[in-house]
Amino acid sequence: MEKRIRVALAGNANVGKSVIFNQLTGLHQHIGNWPGKTVEKAEGELHFKGYTIEIIDLPGIYSLSTFSLEELISREYIINERPDVVINVVDASVLERNLFFTLQLMELEIPLIIALNQVDVAERKGIKIDYRRLEEILGVPTVPTIAIRGKGIHELLFKVIEGFEKGFRKPAPIKYGSEIETRIKMLEEALRGAGLRYPLRWAAIKILEGDEEVIKEVRRVRPEALTLAEKMAKEIEEIHGHPCPTVITSERYEVAGKIAREVQRILPTIKLPLSDKIDYLTTHKVYGYIIMAITILVTFYAVFGLGNFLSEVLTNVLYGYETIFVGILGSGLLRDLIWGGVIEGVIATITIALPYIVPFYLILYALEDSGYLARIAFLMDAFMHKIGLHGKAFIPLILGYGCNVPACLGCRIMETERERLIAGFLSTLIPCAARSVVILGLVGKYLGVEWALYLYVVDLAIVFIFGRIAFKVLPGEAMALIMEMPDYKTPHLKTVIKQTLFRLEEFLKIAFPVIVISGLIIKAMDLLNVLYIVSKIMSPVTVVWLGLPEILGVLLILGVLRKELTLILLATLLGSQNLHEHLTPLQMLTFSLIVMLYVPCVATIATCIKEFGWKKAMLIAVIEVFFAILLGGLFYRALMALEIFR
Amino acid sequence: MEIPLTELKEGETGVITRIEIGFGRGWRWGRGIRKRLADMGLTPGTKVTIIRSAPLNGPIEAHVRGYKLAIGRDIAERIFVEVQR
Ligand SMILES: Nc1nc2c(ncn2[C@@H]2O[C@H](COP(=O)(O)OP(=O)(O)OP(=O)(O)O)[C@@H](O)[C@H]2O)c(=O)[nH]1
Ligand SMILES: [Mg+2]
Repeated sequence: MEKRIRVALAGNANVGKSVIFNQLTGLHQHIGNWPGKTVEKAEGELHFKGYTIEIIDLPGIYSLSTFSLEELISREYIINERPDVVINVVDASVLERNLFFTLQLMELEIPLIIALNQVDVAERKGIKIDYRRLEEILGVPTVPTIAIRGKGIHELLFKVIEGFEKGFRKPAPIKYGSEIETRIKMLEEALRGAGLRYPLRWAAIKILEGDEEVIKEVRRVRPEALTLAEKMAKEIEEIHGHPCPTVITSERYEVAGKIAREVQRILPTIKLPLSDKIDYLTTHKVYGYIIMAITILVTFYAVFGLGNFLSEVLTNVLYGYETIFVGILGSGLLRDLIWGGVIEGVIATITIALPYIVPFYLILYALEDSGYLARIAFLMDAFMHKIGLHGKAFIPLILGYGCNVPACLGCRIMETERERLIAGFLSTLIPCAARSVVILGLVGKYLGVEWALYLYVVDLAIVFIFGRIAFKVLPGEAMALIMEMPDYKTPHLKTVIKQTLFRLEEFLKIAFPVIVISGLIIKAMDLLNVLYIVSKIMSPVTVVWLGLPEILGVLLILGVLRKELTLILLATLLGSQNLHEHLTPLQMLTFSLIVMLYVPCVATIATCIKEFGWKKAMLIAVIEVFFAILLGGLFYRALMALEIFR
Repeated sequence: MEIPLTELKEGETGVITRIEIGFGRGWRWGRGIRKRLADMGLTPGTKVTIIRSAPLNGPIEAHVRGYKLAIGRDIAERIFVEVQR
């Protein structure tokens, strides 16, 4: 029989769980240097020593309570699914806070292994940890690791197998003050035999802490224990002068602190003046904002410049093959379909889309892995309050420039339903890489980079205005910001490149088939004259209201599949990459504006449905379509009246 | 002397005395935020050193239990500390 072991990775946010997960499974969980990237559990497998080991990556949490989504997901998994082993990933450079969570896992009495990760970072900070002593005190097997370099990963697996085969020692639970301990004991007695699916001691502590989930269950089977717990909580509050949950948390932290101090030696460090200096400047009241603006502009110009350069090189190379292909295919219907429908589409994708997408992701992931995004969240907090959100929401918005799907999912880092909805809605208005392909490849290339920049600025203004409106429609106090600020670090080049390549692979896997098929469809429609009919039907909107050429209507419809299709298919349809011969500058601008704003692609809509339900997702889509068309027409008329492109 | 965290100057350290969230003036946020703060290590008796504060009612960044934490101003105003000089 096949032997299976289920192993869950749990721990604080941003400690390296996903890096370890990727190392173990060879999969591609998102990695970056800010807390809250993993928002949903992920599963992978590996085979080791005759075992099939199932690995589960969980969202990072600071406590096993149920106040936020990520806590709920991780806790549900650990408690309900009962993995065979939990690997508690611990950030060695912030031992005290990490141990606070370890202690909670120990109270839960699950088989536990500690991965003492980021020991390299700890060492750089002058923190030296005696991991054997830690192992001894806690009674939990401990393995020092440097996940990004793959150090200790193997040992971790050995410990898993060893523990699984020989059984795990039950660690000694931590002791609270005697006034709390006696009460826990009494509650344990009161709960005995109630048939709870939790360890007694843990359940007793949790009802003292006012944990809603556990209370709900106890209420069903042993309501009198709750009355007792309430009375005791009052007594504890009277003794300490603080609410009972705070007292328990406090004592747990006390224990964590004591253990941390016992196992770590802090050496005087060679200060890292550069890192401190960067931190100081990038969060400064004045320079911080200037640096942010410069970073954004540099990114923009770099992506545009590199993209254009690559695009030209690739165009020259690939179109060199045209005569060869035409020679092989001859002329006629087959040639029209294959060259015009398929190959033109593929070439257009390579020459138009990839050149911008690759540099963009390289820069985005490098920024993300450096820790800069958390600083932007810090700087933008006050501003985000004006649209009913707080600074953390700015991170998914930035990620939206890459792709709206993870951005929309990433809005789960917001604490309330209302904030998740507003942030999710706004994230769909951010021009993703595919839309940037249209903006840069059309407007940027033919009208000049500053016009592309204006479009992005217009978009930001629109995001702000919609944010204000959403804030008015869904009123409520913004939940305030509480976020760990990760230390700056040099971006890990391998991670950055790996993530970019993975993105690229995903893009090619999904985009190519879609592009080829829709290329064929549109060519066939063209040859059958259906294209003409559909275009005619749409012409009141496209031609009369928006002032665009008729055929663009069909492209806008197909663009719902993927936004870059609009531009790629345009090139395919026209059989030319020289789009300026077919579109006026004003048409390019209007078209790009609409592509930028009208419904996100199907993938994003699907994500919205998953996150917010059918009704809200459809509402978002409809609002955006109407708004895009409305604004497009007004924009066209305004520029006509101003005679800007004469 | 007991003052809100926001009144500490950059570089100053205070010891948390109470957190007025979940009741009183800070009732709006309920217990969730209070619990989150405690879980992040902000419990009574904890030392907090201010690293910097953002302009225009922005958040503050503080050193707590060996790591850096950003706290929105509205919350920080309800965390009271005894100044250590
Ligand atoms: N220097 C160093 N950096 C590490 C190590 N392990 C992880 N990192 C970095 O730490 C950051 C966070 O890693 P992740 O794996 O994304 O963290 P996570 O625990 O999955 O975080 P969340 O999903 O947000 O909870 C990344 O920037 C990693 O490159 C390590 O051992 N040494
Ligand atoms: Mg993760």
